[in-house]
Amino acid sequence: MRYLFFIAAVLAAGFLISSPYKLQLLTFIGINTLLALGLNMLMGYAGQISLGHAAFYGLGAYTSGILTAHYHWSPWLGLAAAVVLAVAAAFFIALPLLQLSGFYLGMGTLGFGMIMFVVFRQMSLTGGDSGLVGIPGLSIGPLSLDSPRNYLFFVWAVAIISIFLCERLINSRIGRALRAIHDSERAASSMGIDTGKLKVHIFVLSAMLAAVAGFLYAHLVSFISPSSFDFLVSVRMVTMVVIGGMASVWGSLLGAAVLTILPESLTVFSEYEMIVYGLVLIVIMILLPQGLFRGVLDIYERAGSKPGNASSRCQG
Amino acid sequence: MNALEASQETPLPVVRVEGVCKSFGGIQALNDVTFDVPAGSIFSLIGPNGAGKTTLLNLVTGSFPADSGQVVFGETMLNGRKAHERVALGIARTFQNIELFGSMSVLENVLVGQHVKTRCGFLGAMARLPRTIGEEREARNRALELLDFVGLLDSASQRSTDLPFGWQRFLEIARALATGPRILLLDEPASGLNAVETASLAELLEKIRKSGVTLLLVEHDMNLVMKVSDRVLVLNHGMKLAEGSPCEVQANEAVIAAYLGRDKAGPGC
Repeated sequence: MRYLFFIAAVLAAGFLISSPYKLQLLTFIGINTLLALGLNMLMGYAGQISLGHAAFYGLGAYTSGILTAHYHWSPWLGLAAAVVLAVAAAFFIALPLLQLSGFYLGMGTLGFGMIMFVVFRQMSLTGGDSGLVGIPGLSIGPLSLDSPRNYLFFVWAVAIISIFLCERLINSRIGRALRAIHDSERAASSMGIDTGKLKVHIFVLSAMLAAVAGFLYAHLVSFISPSSFDFLVSVRMVTMVVIGGMASVWGSLLGAAVLTILPESLTVFSEYEMIVYGLVLIVIMILLPQGLFRGVLDIYERAGSKPGNASSRCQG
Repeated sequence: MNALEASQETPLPVVRVEGVCKSFGGIQALNDVTFDVPAGSIFSLIGPNGAGKTTLLNLVTGSFPADSGQVVFGETMLNGRKAHERVALGIARTFQNIELFGSMSVLENVLVGQHVKTRCGFLGAMARLPRTIGEEREARNRALELLDFVGLLDSASQRSTDLPFGWQRFLEIARALATGPRILLLDEPASGLNAVETASLAELLEKIRKSGVTLLLVEHDMNLVMKVSDRVLVLNHGMKLAEGSPCEVQANEAVIAAYLGRDKAGPGC
């Protein structure tokens, strides 16, 4: 039901909006939703932070970009290669990194993100600082996705399917095990959960979603450069998850929307843009520490119940 | 006492600890400890603080390896097996400081307990095939049965950490039972419970034993220990001080001197 409504909203937006700029903005929200969703699976549910997720985003974008622009592969083969490479990289990185926890895991993933950023900048294949040009658009058989509207529908189809699958995963034995690791790793392993293995698996899934987002991004903008995958992008992904709401699939969507639209709509503040942006984030976190999704729901529920009945608030 | 009699006919221990030593940075926590936990019994570990009781329990569950010696479960050597693998073999535990999954409901906690009893993986969860749905339904029914068993059925949908303290202990026991153990290790289950709750804990322990699960208890509440235990092992400074029936242990001079004290006249002796 929720999905029907959601699909209807995307279709309506796609057909009613004609400005290419707005269509592209909505497309970016879809791509960012994939990023936030993947990171939320890792951070919100399994409780493992990653400050280097832009690396997988970049890996997806560059792999498919290089293979299609330099070697004239079909983009779909490029996508397959991007996913395989991101999965392999995530697997080998996760084995040592996920031995860490808390701040140390943050530092470790940060280091990985830095290394990949340097790789994107220094390799001749990636075009270095000047970027990679000539990445072709996508088409499904005879249907070209070149028009902003078609690309919007395609990106959102991928996003909706991903949300659907992630929601199923969360409401399963695996999802419960992930949340168990978040709550108490010791207790989780006393339930027979192979916490080490599960953390690696969810890290890989999360990297896979980021790589798919990277693929979608590269073939949308046709030109990519390292600055799209630097440390600040990793931080922005974390912010999307936190703002939208940790451990909330739909919160990822909301977080991605806010962090995509906010910088765009703040350009009216010209040079004060970043200050206002930072302030908005601070205010959201102070007023709605559980994230926008949960927070707005709480306000809605509180408004519906009698003033004296504030029990849901205390449990916060 | 049927179970104990049976175990005397066929002396098949569930857990056999042989010559186990463990030290933490120069402190000898356990020194050459050997004992058998007979199948179907309630076996208690007692001793002063720092005697090595919890360390011993952690060695059986696999939280860390022993320096030397071995732990055998049924006919399986446990050395080198990780904690989560031991759960699948049939070793479950609770914690001294209750460790529930706080973000989850009471029911979900027990569902997590059935992790090793269910199979569905990443793809299975996403595909949600009839098999997965059936498995989930069975897990749910079993969880509700277990909650009924410990008397928490009415709280199934509450958030686990919102339960009163004593009930949280019972939930932790239900969650451990959900793993389908042959032996359940309880680390100070009565600590923080009032007299009424301790009495219902004693009843629950008997009920669990009757259902065929062996119990290994670390406990300070001597009334509880002496009431429910078939066998008691006393540890002191990481060494075995005495072992026997509750009466034998209570009458043991070394135990009285080191731990129980003179005035501790236990029930039924």
